[in-house]
Amino acid sequence: MDIDAHRLAGALAGASDKTGIELTRAGLDLLVESGGLTVGWAGGAFDVQLNGERRPWPGSASIAAGDRLCIAPGAAGNYGYLRFGKKLDLPMVLGSRATSTRARLGGLEGRALRAGDVLNFSEEGGTVQSVCSPDPPEAGPVRFVWGIHADKFAAGIRRKFVETPFRVTSAMDRMGVRLADEGGVFAGSSILSLISDPILPGDIQILGDGTPIVLMRDHQPTGGYPRIGTIVSADLGRFAQIRSGEAVVFAPVSVDHAHQLMRSGRP
Amino acid sequence: MEQPSNQSLPGDDRHWPTLPQIVLLGDSALLVRFGQSLDDAANRAALVFAARLEADGIVGVVEIVPSLVSVLVRYDPAQVGVARLSGELALRLSGDGAFGESRTHRIAVRFDGPDIGEVAALLGLSIDGFVEAHNRGGMRVLATGFAPGFVYCGFHEQALAVPRRTLVRPQVSAGSVLFAAGQTAIAATDIPTGWHVIGHTQFRNFDPTVNPPTQLRAGDQIIFEVVL
Repeated sequence: MDIDAHRLAGALAGASDKTGIELTRAGLDLLVESGGLTVGWAGGAFDVQLNGERRPWPGSASIAAGDRLCIAPGAAGNYGYLRFGKKLDLPMVLGSRATSTRARLGGLEGRALRAGDVLNFSEEGGTVQSVCSPDPPEAGPVRFVWGIHADKFAAGIRRKFVETPFRVTSAMDRMGVRLADEGGVFAGSSILSLISDPILPGDIQILGDGTPIVLMRDHQPTGGYPRIGTIVSADLGRFAQIRSGEAVVFAPVSVDHAHQLMRSGRP
Repeated sequence: MEQPSNQSLPGDDRHWPTLPQIVLLGDSALLVRFGQSLDDAANRAALVFAARLEADGIVGVVEIVPSLVSVLVRYDPAQVGVARLSGELALRLSGDGAFGESRTHRIAVRFDGPDIGEVAALLGLSIDGFVEAHNRGGMRVLATGFAPGFVYCGFHEQALAVPRRTLVRPQVSAGSVLFAAGQTAIAATDIPTGWHVIGHTQFRNFDPTVNPPTQLRAGDQIIFEVVL
């Protein structure tokens, strides 16, 4: 959900591949049973303790048999990432070691981790890296490019869309984030459903009752609701970290500008 | 040819431009649209165009996904710019729309779905009469999508069009044969659906242990056969 944080955790761990654990505000408690490895963590602001001792977030450590790593939700963010110097030993499914809980594919039986699961690692490798943590992402509007159906919305609605804050609600998962339209931007605007077209992460679709939903990484492949815009790649991770109850304001940019943001974000 | 134009949107309430049309979708994809509604010719044009792009292998293109009447082209902005890529796409929009080789699949269906009586009644047919009308003439895989291995097949004649159910079933089983909007769909996994369930098949169009994981491709011909 937050690719930048995933990348940072990997750099901190000296990761040799892209496997890792995405954690939600449910937190995570890990015990090293045998061997040892490096681990890096990043994403949002979680509380992490190694053997009861608080460590900075983001950060990294070398851990060995008997060590206990406890992560609990902290001051900010929805998603944290744990990456390891060694490779997580998981099956390759459709060219990936990722888990899709929606399609029940990959990982451990295609599901989220639960207490009692044992994770194994293959191959040696990884040394803890000292990586300069980048500045926290700038606050401010979430930038988007106008979408394929933007011209189906009246000019007045488009203007209000960029002037009015929306509130992130608790109806959020890897598929989408439902927003509360407290400013009534889309109240009374009814657009009939359209022919289904492909969807991309970050698409902002407006349901028939005027509810905006931002489609996220596990979005359905196609959809027939009108989409007013698409959040730029550079801001999608930051959007994913916004907690329910917080406000979000959208600001339009050109695709050229979105590409500049992508380039400047690359390490 | 229309250039990508949706950066100049506010205040611009023009009508749909001539198709096909290349539009920007976010900052890493273009969409080539061949129609604004479900249309046989537009679907064929989209499938032909997608096959042509796959064959050509354009630099910077990450993925090509045909949909019902459009083709998604995902690109890596570090490798190719929007102007260059839309030019490459526009070049390939000209030319005839001949279909390449398409394969024919026979799919055995037990027409025992819970909604088949209601669907037949809506159309003023007996159940046997509906099954006969449903299987008359071949169908084509219009698109894949929605869920792993899920296929949309069409088109039925206009007289067989029924709307979706008002209530969505939270789950129907893999192998369910679904009917709505002038199309028949086949579920390869357990899914929620608002379509009518008219039957079941042993056929599963999704096996993640096989490459490719699906057997049916957009453009393939489908013949439904009755099993009792």
